Amino acid sequence: MDQKLEGTPKATLQLDGRAVTRSEISNDWGTRLQWQIKRDGKEIATTTAGLELTYEHPDTAPGKYEVVLQQFHYVNYNKDKEGKFTESKYINISDPVSYTV
Amino acid sequence: MLHIGNQYLPLCSGGTRRSFLQIGAAAMAGLTLPNWLSLEAAGYVDEKKAKIRNCITLFLVGSPGHLDTWDMKPDAPEDIRGKFKPISTSVPGVQICEHFPRMARVMDRVALIRSLHYSTGASHENGQRWMMTGHDFDAANKQPHMGSVIARVYGSRSDLPASIILPRGIGNTGATTPHGQEGAYLGSAYQPFILGSDPSAPDFKVADLVTPAGQTELRVEGRRNLLHEIDEVQRQVETSSTQERDTAYARAFNMLTRPETKKAFDLSDESPKLRDRYGRNTFGQSCLMARRLIERGTRFVTVNQFDTVFGISCWDMHSDGGGLNNTYADYEHVLCPQFDLAFTALLEDLQQRGLLEDTVIAVLSEFGRTPKLNARGGRDHYPSAFTNFLAGGPIRGGRVIGSTDKIGAAPHDRPVEPPQVIASMYQAMGIDLETTMLPGPGGRPVRLIDAEPIQELFS
Repeated sequence: MDQKLEGTPKATLQLDGRAVTRSEISNDWGTRLQWQIKRDGKEIATTTAGLELTYEHPDTAPGKYEVVLQQFHYVNYNKDKEGKFTESKYINISDPVSYTV
Repeated sequence: MLHIGNQYLPLCSGGTRRSFLQIGAAAMAGLTLPNWLSLEAAGYVDEKKAKIRNCITLFLVGSPGHLDTWDMKPDAPEDIRGKFKPISTSVPGVQICEHFPRMARVMDRVALIRSLHYSTGASHENGQRWMMTGHDFDAANKQPHMGSVIARVYGSRSDLPASIILPRGIGNTGATTPHGQEGAYLGSAYQPFILGSDPSAPDFKVADLVTPAGQTELRVEGRRNLLHEIDEVQRQVETSSTQERDTAYARAFNMLTRPETKKAFDLSDESPKLRDRYGRNTFGQSCLMARRLIERGTRFVTVNQFDTVFGISCWDMHSDGGGLNNTYADYEHVLCPQFDLAFTALLEDLQQRGLLEDTVIAVLSEFGRTPKLNARGGRDHYPSAFTNFLAGGPIRGGRVIGSTDKIGAAPHDRPVEPPQVIASMYQAMGIDLETTMLPGPGGRPVRLIDAEPIQELFS
């Protein structure tokens, strides 16, 4: 029987300059966490949210940056020809925070 | 004379229990007992309550590739080393996969065995039998699960079964041969109790511990009394088997009716923060339940991470594009993070509660995976080399037993076979393998396992 991930994980973010600190995750599914970074509305990077709670994106090119915490929502193991998930995907589990460079 | 409700029913003159059963009366007394106790159970449960350590086995059904997890070869060619990178751990010189950052911090408590191997069939079921029983398959002489051995020799510490499997028994992994998680010749009284449901589900309940629909506990008690009266009749014609069965029945009723045994399975008793720490998924919550069961008297808990390898995200990384289409994506986004969180939560939780000294944790799997990536970028079954690990109890952490060659194809030094891992687990539990015997097939006493423990795990 396949696992079914219930509930919705949640975290809160605090911004200090360009450094973003996340809270502990409630209803943590245990799947991979990642930071998603956008600049001027376009995704420019995703990176594993490791054990350190604070993350600072190194890019300082001018623009409006938005950072959000995401977790992988496993739905089923269906994949495309390249072996990548088709229905399981990352979802936002925090509100985004933004800063301008 | 039998009482059924308020009525007295005379038995047929000279009637035996068997004839009573034939007219269906037993169906009136029928009660759904937990699966691991059947009406034919005649096993005798040893009540000695010996002081041995407990064991929690995490069985990674499907089997992780050793080169992608705990025996990485970063200097090997690309089609061997794979996608992932190694990271340093709390043990100098020991590296593991980048997707186990929490485990990397606690490697000083873990003993890796990197040189495991066996040469018989590369099927899931063969690996399951090797690692759950310490024996190769012999259809005429099926071997019992480690937990069943412990249950037979030492009995239970409480009203909970001595051996429990969470959350489900292993089902379809390709063949119809046994999975090594049965009582075998020890009899049905020593079958592990199987939870049979998902402890992470919001509506989780233990199926066999729920009073049958439409039945009050008063009626359950009434049926117990009826069964007792039936057995009293049987005692007139039979002797020891009925009396021995009473022990099994007593345990079954205790499980059904005693609040403290039901509470062992109640995860709502745990703080939400701790449940989050284990991970809100089937495996994580099963690990948490394992800790509760050990705390409350179960001696041996086996957590099957999966109950099949088909059509689900699991370690069986064939990447075949069909029913066995697990890929690196499963490892990276689901499996490694979930394992990392749950395993380290269990280790830390046991330690914080003062239970780690008395609990052996064994992380086992069926085999490794082929060193060279297949044409689809996956890896196939490979029992010639794999990594399992132990922690807790007297196991000395921070060490690596054995090694494989440059591409992880074969043991390079200190080759280890599955029975030696089982022997090490028994020794870690405090069992004297030289003097402790088990009633084997035909009742003749046999050693628990015919192998020597890996002494480097203890010194």
